[in-house]
Formats: sequence, structure tokens, C-alpha cells
Amino acid sequence: MTQRGFPLVSPTGSLIGLLFILVAMWYAASSQNNAAAYLLMFALTSVFLISIPHTLLNLGGLKATAESVKPTFAGQEVSLPFEITNESRATRYGIALSLPDFDGDPERIDDIPAGKAVRVILRFSAPTRGEHEIGRLCLASVYPLGFLRALKRVTVPQRYLVYPKPAGDPRLPQGSTRSTQNRPGPELGEGDDFAGVRTYVPGESQHHIDWKAVARGQPLMTKQFATEAGGLLYLDFAALQFSDPEERLSQLALWVIEAERARHPYGLRLPTAEIAPSLGESHFHWCLRTLALFK
Amino acid sequence: MRAFRKRDRRIPRRPLLWLAAALLFTLPPMFGTLATWVPVLFLITLAAKFWMEPKGYRLRSVTWKFVLAGVTLAAIFFSYGSLKGIEPGVSLIVVLMSLKILEAHSAREFQVMVIMAWMLCLCGLFLSQDFAVALCLLAAFALLLVALIQFHRGSAPGALGPPVLMACKLLAQALPLIILLFLLFPRVTTGFRFQIVQPGSMAGGFSDRLFPGSVASLANSSNVAFHAEFPDDRIPRLAAMYWRGSVMWRGEGLEWRTPVTPASIRRSARQARKGQAIRQWIMIEPHGGRWMFALDSPSAPPSDATLVTGNYLLSDHLIRKPRRYEVISFPTISEQELPPRERKILLEVPPWISPAVRQLAQSWTAASASPRTVVNSALRFFRTQGFRYSLSPGEYKRNDLDEFLFRRRVGFCEHYAAGFATLMRLAGIPARVVVGYLGGEYNEFGGFFVVRQADAHAWCEVWLPETGWVRVDPTSVVVPERVNLGLASFLDPRATSGQTSNNAFARNLVHQPIFTMVRLAWDTLNYAWDTRVLSFDAEAQKSFVAETGIADSTPVSLIIRTLFIASALLLTYVAWMWWQTRSRRDRVKALYERFCRKTARLGARRDPWEGPSDFSNRAAHLLPNESNRIRQISSAYIALRYSAEPTPSVLDQFAREVNAFVIAPPHGSRSSGRVRSP
Repeated sequence: MTQRGFPLVSPTGSLIGLLFILVAMWYAASSQNNAAAYLLMFALTSVFLISIPHTLLNLGGLKATAESVKPTFAGQEVSLPFEITNESRATRYGIALSLPDFDGDPERIDDIPAGKAVRVILRFSAPTRGEHEIGRLCLASVYPLGFLRALKRVTVPQRYLVYPKPAGDPRLPQGSTRSTQNRPGPELGEGDDFAGVRTYVPGESQHHIDWKAVARGQPLMTKQFATEAGGLLYLDFAALQFSDPEERLSQLALWVIEAERARHPYGLRLPTAEIAPSLGESHFHWCLRTLALFK
Repeated sequence: MRAFRKRDRRIPRRPLLWLAAALLFTLPPMFGTLATWVPVLFLITLAAKFWMEPKGYRLRSVTWKFVLAGVTLAAIFFSYGSLKGIEPGVSLIVVLMSLKILEAHSAREFQVMVIMAWMLCLCGLFLSQDFAVALCLLAAFALLLVALIQFHRGSAPGALGPPVLMACKLLAQALPLIILLFLLFPRVTTGFRFQIVQPGSMAGGFSDRLFPGSVASLANSSNVAFHAEFPDDRIPRLAAMYWRGSVMWRGEGLEWRTPVTPASIRRSARQARKGQAIRQWIMIEPHGGRWMFALDSPSAPPSDATLVTGNYLLSDHLIRKPRRYEVISFPTISEQELPPRERKILLEVPPWISPAVRQLAQSWTAASASPRTVVNSALRFFRTQGFRYSLSPGEYKRNDLDEFLFRRRVGFCEHYAAGFATLMRLAGIPARVVVGYLGGEYNEFGGFFVVRQADAHAWCEVWLPETGWVRVDPTSVVVPERVNLGLASFLDPRATSGQTSNNAFARNLVHQPIFTMVRLAWDTLNYAWDTRVLSFDAEAQKSFVAETGIADSTPVSLIIRTLFIASALLLTYVAWMWWQTRSRRDRVKALYERFCRKTARLGARRDPWEGPSDFSNRAAHLLPNESNRIRQISSAYIALRYSAEPTPSVLDQFAREVNAFVIAPPHGSRSSGRVRSP
């Protein structure tokens, strides 16, 4: 992560207002020869000048480190955790973090004491599927007076993954390779044996979230129900009827989610790759990753 | 240490409170100078804002904004009869600020409000030049800084202290720069002047007319007339400190006037100066008239002033702001001869003078032909005939000379001066009345004299052929103590005897030494404000620059010098602040990096973006043998990094654990690749 260089200082809109009243004060003082008015004008000018180094140094010693990003589905929010470390010997105030390449509200940090770190999660809506670079992170501050903005650009080389947007028919296809009865839809399995919980994957239906566990303060978990079906399911790209490959990928992504929740072993067949049927979290993510990176 | 989303665009309460406090401090100069409804409206909107803000109400409708602006504009026009001049102008700004307060709701508008509040400070300085007002406005200025700092810190209110400290720090650091700019930044007088219409009557003092009761009306006023310093330390006795203000030639019994257009005089050889020269620096408070004061008698006028017939100073312009001037006086300056035309004027008496008064004057001339003896006879008359000195001698009209001289025989200094001068003229001796001040209060902190309106005095001058003009103070004959003690001390014992106990208590309090000290110190500050700040104009700057030895004092050269020093100062600040806050070697982080290097050697390399907790899970998975220690070290690191105040013992424990981690790397360490630091 490149963090070198002095921050840029640029005027904010209110500087125009300040300059305007400074000129007005100067005009009034000089035309009336009023020394007290001169004094006020000089005081305001000096305080503004003194605020320049304060603004400039308010970003000094700040280091931004991006942490690993959890993959998300296209159209959802990407949560990008950053750790902002203050390595200087002074508290830093009023820092806004933003990603100039994405639209999204800047995150504001009230203060970071000397030698401490703050974790901030930047959120923005995920673009299309694929692997993307984060690009630039902006640290900005107008502290203390708000007439100047200090801006520090940090290049974040890290990449994040966006899975295809799950869409289409939630019912799993009648297995082409396997023959046993298929159980489509999230309603299925409700009456079946409870097989335990696993971490909630963003994008899947909230129907099966273990809300009681959430109420106990535990993270989001999805209840899983075992099926006795043991047949293999191949999700085939070529077998789909859609003309748009993106639509096909969306449908496949939805099926991957549904099959995983139904504890139904599934495999993936793409023109470029084939994944053998399996179950489990790493298999699930591997399939979605393959879909995301499909070209 | 909280991060939050910037969804709430409303102005937080705390900065708004600071802003309101600042705005309250801009109010004092407005009361009394502006139409009362203007600051009252301002206060009401301020209060309304605090009621509206939590409810999310504000003035939204454009139509209503225009209607309100129109109504207030009309109200200003009807209050002052015009929209020109300083009061309507300031009222307009105050009213606009009030509307802005009602309307503002977003972050950007907060900044605009602060800028407008600084404009209000400027207006305050134009409304009043008083030191107390300046202190109020300084408080407002500082509070505005606090408001801005609080606002830009973020929305959590936090502690009260840090923003205040930060504002003080900014002001302290700005102080050298302020002084530098104030002293060196060239004062250019712009060609266009907007006319300031001053409030009708200033703190008055006297006028060009002396009538019964005119000086007595000032006796209770503690307003400062002027300050005087004696730079050569040649200080006359307090009893001899006759500050000459103006000379009245035209006598009509008890009422005297100055000539309508006093002629300027030039010093010439026909004048004799006697005694030691006394140099004075006088800082005169604005009174709206043209008279200026100097010890009896000024020898030459300062710039922008004229010495006129009668040996007194008149300013070329009306004195509307504090002005400082230097003047040299001699105890006696007198013409060698009196031109016949002047002599004729100086002997004029009104025709209605009663025979009894004429007879009194003639009785003295009959006894002796020498004017000096006549003067002494007159003084003896005032001393021996039971005259009393009183602040409230009852009402006299201008032709009540008989009443004063023969019946009531009670008067204040103007009665004695007027009566004495009229009697002298009747006796054939040219005489005139001088008004001014007598004495003053010495301030030992500042080494200057304060002369107040209460020190106002009137005395006489008579022309004696052998010496020229001679000062005669008939009041000093009636009450010698008055001249020595000053009016206040002279009046006090009498006043207390007749007053209620409550007032007596207040008076006693006033005379406590501590109170006197505070008063003197306050006077000193006021005087310093007047002399060091208010009177530092283009001319004072020129002489200051000349004194410092800067040869080239054109505005351009001054600006370049100022810029040079200012940027040097700023650079020094940057360097100093950078050094103060430079990055510290982070022991916790260095230890953690060392731990990461060790795990990398074991095969678990931390990715730069991997959080410590994620890495700990992964590394524990990869290195099951070391999993316990890895988890322990990682959680210690997280505790040290993110907890509010780590104890030193935890840090030492952490250091020991990292050092102890895998002393001997196992054989065949797989990864020896360079570890990138995050």
C-alpha cells in the first residue's frame, strides 16, 4: 500500500466566504481608518494562516490498512474493513474516509488517539461480477476550521470478488446426471431433520436464519436440514436456455445457493471448467468464485 | 474512538450552543446604539432556533423568507428614516443573521453562520470603541473558533475541554502573527469613504457656552475626558494642572460664550514664554466637538489642529474617535500687548447690569488705580462675604448676577468665574473665562493621569499691563480645598452625610483600597487599548517603521517584509508541530511483525490485508502444534492494539511471548520469503 507523500491541501467552498468578509473588513477598516477593525481582520487572517499547518498535519502519521474483504453478490453492498492507525504522538480528529472510485457516503472518524487504531467499514454497492481492484482510498480532513481540506490518497492494491447476482428460478433442475427425486424450493426440508447450523452466506434467503441465536448475540447462522437424498446434481451452463451468459450465470449462482442449503451435493459444468459434485462451505465458495471469474 | 455513518446532516447541538454563546457576546454594543427591536429580534430567533432544531422545524418557504426580509427592511427604514449610515447597515446585517439562523440546517450553513457572526464582530467595533466592548467581541471571536473546532471534530460531543484548548492554542500561535500584521501591514486609506452618522450626542463634556449649571451637570459623570502622560517626567502639581479647553470672550452676566469663529494665531516674537516646557501626550476620548486640551498654555498646535486667539487648541475635524497628540506647554505664555480692537471686546459688558453691581466694581477702582490691587479686592470680596461652594446652588438665570453676588451667595465654579470676569470688566480690566479641567487622577500602574468629566472647571484670566494675561481662579479663594483635593474628594464627605446608609455603604466600598486598585488597573487597560491599539493609524505606523530603522517603507516593501516574516513563522510552526507529533516507533506493532516473520518461517505467511484474528485462525490451522501460542499472542496483540489503555505489564508479557515463540525453527522451514510489512 503506497502511503508516501505529503497530503494535498485544497480550499473548501467556505473559504470564498472567509475571503469575502476579510476583504469587507479591510475595506471598512481602511475607509474608516478604524484600528480595531484592522485588528479583527488581522486576527482572522492570522488564525486562518495558523490553521493551515494544523490541517496539513492532522493527517500526519495516519496509516490505512485494508483487511480482507468477504465476497459478495453483485448488487449487494461490499463491506470493506479498514484499519486506520495513528502512529503520531497527537490525537487526530475529524477524518473522513472515502473511495473516490465508488459512490457511497464517506465514513467519518471522530478521533484517533495517539498510537491507537480504529476499524472502519466502508460500504459501497458491488459492481458487476468478477474480481475488482479497490484502487484508491481518500483520507480527508477539514479540521480545525473547515476552510481547507487536507487530502491524502492511498493506493490499495487489494482485490475483491463479486459473485454473480443470484436470479432466476429457485427450483433446482431435474438432475440430468442423477435420477432420484429432487426437492426444489426453500419450503422443502422444513419438516426434515435439523442438521445443524452454518455461517450465513450473504445473498441467501433469510428464511432459515437462526434468529434465536441472533437474539442471543451470536452471529448470523443458517439452519440446515438434512435430506436423505444422496443423488448427484450437475448444474450445467450449456443446458440452460437463456441466450445471455450473465443470465445463465445468475441462474447457476441461485442454484448453487439453493442446493447448498438443501444439503444436496452439486457439481458445476462450465464450458471452461468442471467442478465435481460435493457439499460444504469451501466447495460452495469455490463454485461461486468460478462463476464470478467466468469469461 | 467511534466511527459512524455520515447520514445525519443536521447541525449537532454542541457546536450550535457554542455559536449561540458567541452570538450573545456580540450583542452588548448593539443595545443602546441600534433600535432596540433589532437585538431583541436577534435574541428571539436565537432562542427559537434551540426550540426548533430538535423538532426539525425551520424556515423553508421561499415566499416567507422574502416576506420576512421585506418586513424587517421596512421596519429598519421606519426606525431610522433611512437605509444609509452605520446603524441601519448594522441593523440590516443583524436582521439577515436572524433570518439565516431560522433557516440554517445543514453543515455548510453552519460555516456560513460563523462567517456572518465574524461580520457582526466587525459591526460591534464600528458601533463602539470601548475597551469593554472589545473584550466582549474578543470572547465572541474565540467562541466562534471553538464552535468551528467542535463542529469539525465530528458529531459526538466529547469532552468540553479539548475544543476550548485547541482554540486557545490557535489564538496563542496566531498572536505573533497578529502583532506583526498590525504593526507592519500597510494602512492604505481608500478613496471612497462611507459616511458614518454618529449617534447624536456623544459623551458630551462641555459646549461652547458656559451657563449656570453647565459645569455642575458634569460633576457626577465619571466618564473619562482624556488621559495624559508626561514623557519627560516633568509633572506639575495637581493643584496647578489647569487643562485649557476653550476660552469664552463674550460675557452676558452669568452666561459666557466663545466667539463664533475663533481666529487662528501664529506664535510670534511679541509673546513671552516663561517657565519650564512641559511635554504631554494626550489621548482624548471622542466627544463630537472640536476642542482639544492641553496644560495652560500650549505653545504650538499638534498636526491637524489650530491654536486660536485665546491660546487654546481646536481640532481641524470633529473628534469622533480616540485621538492621541503631543503638545508642549509653558506655565505662562503671554502677549506683550493687547490690540485695541481686542481690548474693546474684552471690556464689553451687557447693558442690563444693575447699578448695585456697577457700584461694587467702582468701589474697588476708586480705592486703587492699580489693576492688581483691584483684582485682590475682588478676591477678598469673595473670600470674606460668606460665599459658599455647592454643587446644587439652586437655579440662576443669566441676568441673576445680583441674586448671586448679594443675596444667595452660593455657587459652583462657573458662577464664580462668570461673576468675577464680569466684575473685572466693569472695573476696566480686560477679562475672559476659561473652561477646561482641573487636576486629574494619577494611575500608578500606567503612569498616566485620567481626567474625567467630573474634573471640569471654569476659571478667569485678566489682563494686567505689566505681565499680560494672568490666571485668576476665584473658586480657589472660596474653597481652597477644591483645587488641592479634586472635586470628588471635596464633595464626598458632604454628600455622604445627607445620603441614606445604603449609598454610604456603596461609597465606602468604592473607597476600599482593593476596589481602587481594580479601578486603576482597569483604567490602565483601557488606556493601553486606546493608546496602543486604537490610535495606531497610518501616521503612527509610519513613525513606528521609521523608529525600527526600516529605510524603505513603501507599502509594497512593507507587504513583502510582512509576507517574508509571516511565512518564516509559519514554516517554523510546521517544523515544530511536525517534530512534536512525529510518528513514534510502535513497539507493539514491531513485536507483532516479528511474530509474523517467525510464523512465515514456519510456513504461515500473513497477507498484508489479513486481520490479526483471521490470520490467527489460519495460522493455527496451518501450524496445529503451535496453535495455542499463536492464538494467545494474537489475542494479546488485539487487546493491546484496540483496548483503550493497555497496561505496561500486558505489553511486557506480550514481548516475552513473542520472544519465546519458536526459539529454534524446525528443520526444513519451507518459506523463507521476504515478509511484506502491512
